Amino acid sequence: MGFGLGRPGWRASVGVIWSVFRARLKIITRYKGAVLLESIIPVIFAGLPILLGSAVAGSEQAAADNFFRYTGTAGQSAADFRLYMMMGSNTFMVVSLMLWLIGYWVRREQETGTLEALYLAPAKRLHVLTGVTSYTLVRSLIAFVTATVLGSLLFQVNPLSGSFGAALAYLLLGIPALWGISFFFGALVMRIKEANSVIQLLQWVLAFAMGVYFPVTVFPLLLRWTAMAFPPTLMNDAIRSSLLNISSIYGPWYVVLALMLIAAWTVPLLGYEFFGLVERRVRRDQGVGQF
Amino acid sequence: MAEPIIKVENLAKMFLSKERKKGAGRKKKEVHALKSVNLEILDGEVFGLLGPNGAGKTTLIKILTTLLIPTSGTAWVNGYSITKEEDEVRASIGCMLMGDRGLYWKLTGRENLDYFGALYHVPKADRTKRIDELVALLKLGDFIDRTVETYSSGQRMIVAFAKSLVNDAPILFLDEPTVTMDVPTARELRRIVKELNEGGKTILYTTHLMHEAEELCDRVAIIDHGEIIALGTPGELKESLGHEDVVSLEGIFPEATVSRLRAVPGILEVSVTAEDSGRSKLDVMCGNSRAMLPKIIEAVMGDGATIEEIKPKEITLEDVFVAKTGRTLAVDTRVVGEKAVRGRGG
Repeated sequence: MGFGLGRPGWRASVGVIWSVFRARLKIITRYKGAVLLESIIPVIFAGLPILLGSAVAGSEQAAADNFFRYTGTAGQSAADFRLYMMMGSNTFMVVSLMLWLIGYWVRREQETGTLEALYLAPAKRLHVLTGVTSYTLVRSLIAFVTATVLGSLLFQVNPLSGSFGAALAYLLLGIPALWGISFFFGALVMRIKEANSVIQLLQWVLAFAMGVYFPVTVFPLLLRWTAMAFPPTLMNDAIRSSLLNISSIYGPWYVVLALMLIAAWTVPLLGYEFFGLVERRVRRDQGVGQF
Repeated sequence: MAEPIIKVENLAKMFLSKERKKGAGRKKKEVHALKSVNLEILDGEVFGLLGPNGAGKTTLIKILTTLLIPTSGTAWVNGYSITKEEDEVRASIGCMLMGDRGLYWKLTGRENLDYFGALYHVPKADRTKRIDELVALLKLGDFIDRTVETYSSGQRMIVAFAKSLVNDAPILFLDEPTVTMDVPTARELRRIVKELNEGGKTILYTTHLMHEAEELCDRVAIIDHGEIIALGTPGELKESLGHEDVVSLEGIFPEATVSRLRAVPGILEVSVTAEDSGRSKLDVMCGNSRAMLPKIIEAVMGDGATIEEIKPKEITLEDVFVAKTGRTLAVDTRVVGEKAVRGRGG
């Protein structure tokens, strides 16, 4: 007895990835303005420390001088100060979106029963997750580019002034590690059947740990090392140091590159393995359908 | 003689359930949802799985469809092991397990079918053709290109049913597929299920509607407290009650009526189905209804009851279920009889 119309194979696997990706994009575009609205958030978030810096230091240039002197990168302009905050905020949005979209995706699918429907199909978990993460990547990058364009106009900075190519490469190289973390997060949501409270808490922990508005060198030693071991911190620092031509807290460029390659290789594997373990435990327990 | 297409061997499932009692904190309790179930479903048959909520039928289906991992025992679906060849098992089945859930509300019905077709590895050209066939077969034309959020509950159910057919799998698992459908739609769905079966599909059908089971199923298993307590064709199961008769009474009955009836020699079982209006229905099972009728009336009237209707009834699967479990399958079941005192498990 056969499989009906099903024809497993590489074409079918590509078809799964494409269908999942396309369905997610269709769904989000049917929520009018969602992608545009989320692009405004980092611009607002970047405005806060810029204005606060000016208020505390007396002027924007004084704020920039103080900031870069204290963080070990003296001699930068007020525009660089704004760019530093903007890129931190934008990178945080990419990290945040990629993690939370997976968390919300798992939770939403649990609640609507579509997660169980996915597990009833012969499509492999890897292919479904590849489709979803491709969607989160595209959505995050759209938001990143939009926020960068908006922020550049509003804050009058030129994001192309530094090593833009290197920054872009670091951004893309940082993505696989984000996928890995998102698998951890998705597994956690599947297990505890709750996304909102976890996201609310981790959002701010994440922003703090990855040094959105400051280099993590300002942390006490233990906290600094912990934060530096967090892949989004590495990615954020690599992007900013390239764009602003300042030294990375991790060391020379080849150390940064090596660390990013290691993270890009190991974190997704660990995250995927963890997702599989949790999924198996859930199936041994009450099943993926229970919400 | 048809070969078994689904084979279940000593399948058991135990959950650890957390009990929250006031003042006692949380306590873990073992729930045995399935207890060493053995079963064979033959190629090409419609097999009915009957049982009240919590009996274990959904757990059994979830294990057979690889959604749950069994605690012990195993099963084969379409010749593939549910624990070692999960992808092959999934590729062999079409499922409607969650009623009208399991659809994306922001996608149209057609987009949902296309999406799930891809997840079942159906090539694009075949998918498009298959969806068109299903639209025609299930008469989805009026709403298939609207987003699911605009559908009525019945329309969502029928699209969920279409989803289970999108890969044209040899085995179908249908869990209460008509539950929120109006009468004509449910009748139409049953007709299609029959057609699909005639076309060669094996169908595992769960329901609590006895007439559906009698109409559709070649064989039926009654499951209760995680065990299969009866298995056979509807005819065999009804015959297993021997020459017992059922007398059905409708009216207003005080609580003590059931115990009075049960105390009458010759009465084998009594089940009660209550209605919201205060009226209820008593099904009294006895050896010879003609001989027993005066005694039944005497026992009921002596308690100040009002009988509005009384009639002999043909033995149905419902009666088999009552005889085996001591309770009815209706949602508003009132537990009666010694067997039912065990309460619900699974």
